[in-house]
Amino acid sequence: MNLYVLSFGFGLITASILAIASVGFTLQFGVTNILNLAYGDVMTGCAFIAYLVTRAGGSLAEALLAGAASGALASYGLNRFVYTPFVRRGTRMFGMIIVTISVSLVLQNGLQGIFKATFFSLALPRPSSYTFAGMIFTSQQFVIIALAVVAMLFVHALLSWTKLGRAMRATAADPELARSCGIATDRVIDVAWLLSGALCGTAGVALALNVTSFTSTAGGQFLIPIIAAAVLGGVGHPYGAMVGAVVIGLSAELSAAVIPPSYKEVVAFLILIVVLLIRPQGIFAEVATQKEVVA
Amino acid sequence: MSSSMQFYISNLLVYLGVDVMACLGLNLQFGVAGLINLAFIVFQAAGAYTAAVLTLGPSTARGGFQSYILGAHLQFPLPWLAAAVVGGALSFVVGLIVLRRLRTDYQAMVMLVISLIATTVVTNATGLFNGSNGLALIPQPLESVLKLSPVGYQWFYVGLTFACTILVWVIVRRITGSPLGRTLRAVRDNDVAAASLGKNVTQLRLIAFVAGGAIAGLSGAILAQFISAWSPGSWLFPESFVYFSAVIVGGAGNNMGAVVGAALVPVAFLEATRYIPQFGYPGLVDALQWVVVGLLTLGVMWFRPRGVFPERTRRFARPPGSEPTHE
Amino acid sequence: MSGEPLLSVRGLAKSFGGVEAVRDVSFDVAAGSITGLIGPNGAGKSSVLAIVSGFLAPTSGSVHFGGELVSGHSAYRLARLGLVRTFQLSSEFERLSVIENLLVAAPNQRGDRLRDVLAGRWRWRAEEDEAVARARELLARFEIPEKEDDLAGDLSGGQKRLLELARALMTEPKLLLLDEPMAGVNPALIRRIEAHLMALRDEGLTMLMVEHELGVVERLCDPVVVMAQGQVLSSGTMAELRANEEVLDAYLAG
Repeated sequence: MNLYVLSFGFGLITASILAIASVGFTLQFGVTNILNLAYGDVMTGCAFIAYLVTRAGGSLAEALLAGAASGALASYGLNRFVYTPFVRRGTRMFGMIIVTISVSLVLQNGLQGIFKATFFSLALPRPSSYTFAGMIFTSQQFVIIALAVVAMLFVHALLSWTKLGRAMRATAADPELARSCGIATDRVIDVAWLLSGALCGTAGVALALNVTSFTSTAGGQFLIPIIAAAVLGGVGHPYGAMVGAVVIGLSAELSAAVIPPSYKEVVAFLILIVVLLIRPQGIFAEVATQKEVVA
Repeated sequence: MSSSMQFYISNLLVYLGVDVMACLGLNLQFGVAGLINLAFIVFQAAGAYTAAVLTLGPSTARGGFQSYILGAHLQFPLPWLAAAVVGGALSFVVGLIVLRRLRTDYQAMVMLVISLIATTVVTNATGLFNGSNGLALIPQPLESVLKLSPVGYQWFYVGLTFACTILVWVIVRRITGSPLGRTLRAVRDNDVAAASLGKNVTQLRLIAFVAGGAIAGLSGAILAQFISAWSPGSWLFPESFVYFSAVIVGGAGNNMGAVVGAALVPVAFLEATRYIPQFGYPGLVDALQWVVVGLLTLGVMWFRPRGVFPERTRRFARPPGSEPTHE
Repeated sequence: MSGEPLLSVRGLAKSFGGVEAVRDVSFDVAAGSITGLIGPNGAGKSSVLAIVSGFLAPTSGSVHFGGELVSGHSAYRLARLGLVRTFQLSSEFERLSVIENLLVAAPNQRGDRLRDVLAGRWRWRAEEDEAVARARELLARFEIPEKEDDLAGDLSGGQKRLLELARALMTEPKLLLLDEPMAGVNPALIRRIEAHLMALRDEGLTMLMVEHELGVVERLCDPVVVMAQGQVLSSGTMAELRANEEVLDAYLAG
């Protein structure tokens, strides 16, 4: 078994999970300019919900549905009851960052308080594994890849062919202009959070599916790679985030074949820093000028 | 007063001094200059490690059970001076790279990531600072020279800490009460306008960043030599957030606010919760502590965003008899 | 008045990703004049202003200030040379008081240098007192002396305009770039600001003003440069421009 090929396989899975998560992240960040540092912890929460569903005897499909729904609800609620009120009060960008970090702390430690610091796995039957071109996959991992593909197609269809999608793109580009064109930016923002939350939840369940066990910090640890993928592809550009996810996912796993595995996450960290310092607009966007938060 | 009581109080006072210094430094960076240094704790750790390796002596000593770089037996106050210099120099390098024209949230992200990278690297590169076990048996300043009783030495250390805190207070007050401090606040409020008035924004931000970093380094050295140990567990990212919370609660942009915030959050709150009997399972109280810190910060930002002691503007004395007419 | 123009712009060009915002713009600003820069939306006026004030790098062309080549200088360096701009949107330091806003602008203050600050108050006290006195004079001149200790963010829109002007003047500029100073200002205040600007011109201050209110331009500016679609169409007095067919077609309603 060639180590590189094997790592490439792992990379594909990581990339799939990252893709779902980072597209969700970039859609929301692109439209509202709020850097939601609690995103990873919402993922963890949804993973826990999925765990509870499977413990109660639910199937994988039900767990995924529950995860996506709770993600959508949680993100929407977070924006409606926490973020928007702060923005309306005049909290500017650096205040909002403190707000989202506070939320992240509350969520992550709240989850730890409820579920303790032990590890959990989804109560699903053991999947069968398959070998494919030198890479090993379980049937569950095929599901993850399929999920990622479906999610990407869905987002693509939404953005390109629906009125809502066009409204989202317009609001992301210039909220003032969009409003003056008659677009109900408030509704667009709500949808962005719902959609982003659904993707976040799905990614959380996928994450739980992929690891042998997870704990209250699982999602938070994924946050920086998610941001890295989103920034690499250009904030607000979903297709860019998909490309970014593949790059980050593959490079992180492939690097584990060369450098000590404990440094794997540092790869994503370094990519993010380098991108921010050299080309903050990422691969696909124009110029990363300072924009204010939108609610 | 019983000896254990004296130990307890002197412990608290040293922690208070260290936290006050750290908050004054962070206030300079964040409250006055508007820089979200989410990696603040890294600079405090840098100072702590500097003091440690400069007093522990060569790593091969005592059977080489700890591995770390450098290694010397420098006399007090050199390790503390070195710690401040290292904190400042590291801030200079990081600041030079990060504080250019990055937008606020990207700057914050980079700092957060730097904090995470630093923790990962130090934990895994065991040759650097002994990995996740950290450094122990760090000698204390002037201990062999003074030959004090344990309690006596505690109070001596309180005195040292107090002296350093006063020094930091004077420096920070001089900066914030001067035209330079006013210019830093202007850059925070509108950096584009400040540039249009002739202010070199990057250089000004660097000054605040380096000064804050040097103070952080010094506070780290003081703490590390007090507890005689230092490990990555002491300086994970949430520790930076505790300081941010303290500065915000106390009043960002106000030095007295930083002092009060340090007394309220890291000291009073975290101290008070030590006395709550451990209920539930082990670790529940710690998790809840963080939840409360998060909620506290949100609450303060909502109900009293300017903190206990809001930032003040200066009023200038008028020559007698020249009051302008008021409407 | 010397023959040499204070500001000289030659062949300025700027493209943003394929869009030519500015192409081959050249004009002079004579010392002691209030030169106007007008044109329809999208003419490239704000880009020209941004380039001249050092906030935007030109794709090509040159800018000479006081005879010196200054293209490529950053905004703060130009401000230290005496080229200061104001902004269209209020850009006061909102958490500083009105007088603090002005004091920030005072140039060459010892109190701005770290080593003098650490040495102690006695090093910079005298200079600061002078700056305070100057700031109070300016506040009195602009008729807002009682606002001295108010937070700048709490001022009304019109008062913020006056503050912005006063703050720019604290830097003792040689050339003042005004970016739509009358935008959103009520007519009574417009007249007052005009009076201030005319007084400043009479005292020898040179100004370059981008403005949409043609009445203001007519009363204050001579000469006036007209831009459209990234290029200079013409320049002259307003009367001359009103008679110019090309200018009328591009822009003037009459």
